[in-house]
Amino acid sequence: METQPTSHITEAVRSLIGAQSDQQEATEPVERGAVRRFVQAILDDDPAYRDEQYAQGTKFGGVVAPPLFPTHMFRRRPDAPDPLDVLRDNPDWDGVGGTDALLPPVPVPLGRILNGGVEAEFHQLAKVGDRVFAKSRYVDIYEKEGKAGKMVFTVVETSYTNQDGALLAVVRNTIIRR
Amino acid sequence: MTSDGRLRRCFEDVQIGDLLPPVVKGPMSPVHLMRWSAAIENWHRIHYDGRFATEHDGLPDLLVNGSWKQHVMVQVVKDWVGLDGWLWKISFQFRGMDRVWDTVTAWGRVTAKEAKGNYGIVHCEIGMRNQRGEEGTAGTAVCVLPMRGGDAVPYPFHAAQ
Repeated sequence: METQPTSHITEAVRSLIGAQSDQQEATEPVERGAVRRFVQAILDDDPAYRDEQYAQGTKFGGVVAPPLFPTHMFRRRPDAPDPLDVLRDNPDWDGVGGTDALLPPVPVPLGRILNGGVEAEFHQLAKVGDRVFAKSRYVDIYEKEGKAGKMVFTVVETSYTNQDGALLAVVRNTIIRR
Repeated sequence: MTSDGRLRRCFEDVQIGDLLPPVVKGPMSPVHLMRWSAAIENWHRIHYDGRFATEHDGLPDLLVNGSWKQHVMVQVVKDWVGLDGWLWKISFQFRGMDRVWDTVTAWGRVTAKEAKGNYGIVHCEIGMRNQRGEEGTAGTAVCVLPMRGGDAVPYPFHAAQ
């Protein structure tokens, strides 16, 4: 008897396509120290990211964060459980998760996660002191046959706005589970 | 030049085939990777736990974070565009892995340009290669530049303007 290749795109998975999150506020406003650590880690010494006097003289009117900085602003909230607690029962936990997920998880039995890519449209940069809000939606969830078996691709589109409701960026991120 | 002495890149200055000044980073040590993971509070172990990366996930070594590489892809275009232009759209796929101790070079090349009302739109092909010559990241970018002697590119930038 021939074995049927089973798809990970079950009805439960498919039903998530188009699902939209509520609008959520970032864990903290854009912090100067967070921007400093961030740009030091990406090795970008652009004065717009660190020199207030310089930045005041630009169209930004003050120190700004890199275009994709808002995508990292949804951290573990102070009242959220410690994701590292998982390690007590599962020392093989991959360390993914525990951040402020906007959307429900995609229920597939694939444990390894890779970043597939980014598609972004920028309108303005977040400034130090800005509050940032995000709203996400599953644009697509699909399966591909890889060298080591089936891979599930999840495309999430997130719109980032500031405290005035002005659009900062729209970012599509593809996550690959294999 | 602008009044404060900065270089103002105008639409007319750009030719199809122009190369963007490359942005080189590395070698990316485990310390660099740890600093990045800590900066964004991302605890994915394939970027700092070598045993987990190789034995659990079957990877060749620690991987350079895609979440880090994306900012380098942005930087190569943003630095070239300058303060008077705007990096409007960027898109790239992570096709290959870059490993710990790799040196990566983000590059770009102008592929098309079109005048659009008061400003110009420039299309670029962009990518990132490592010291082995592997082109692990590939994509495109769309930039907006002012016309020589023309109005500033609107900021915030919206396509309908």
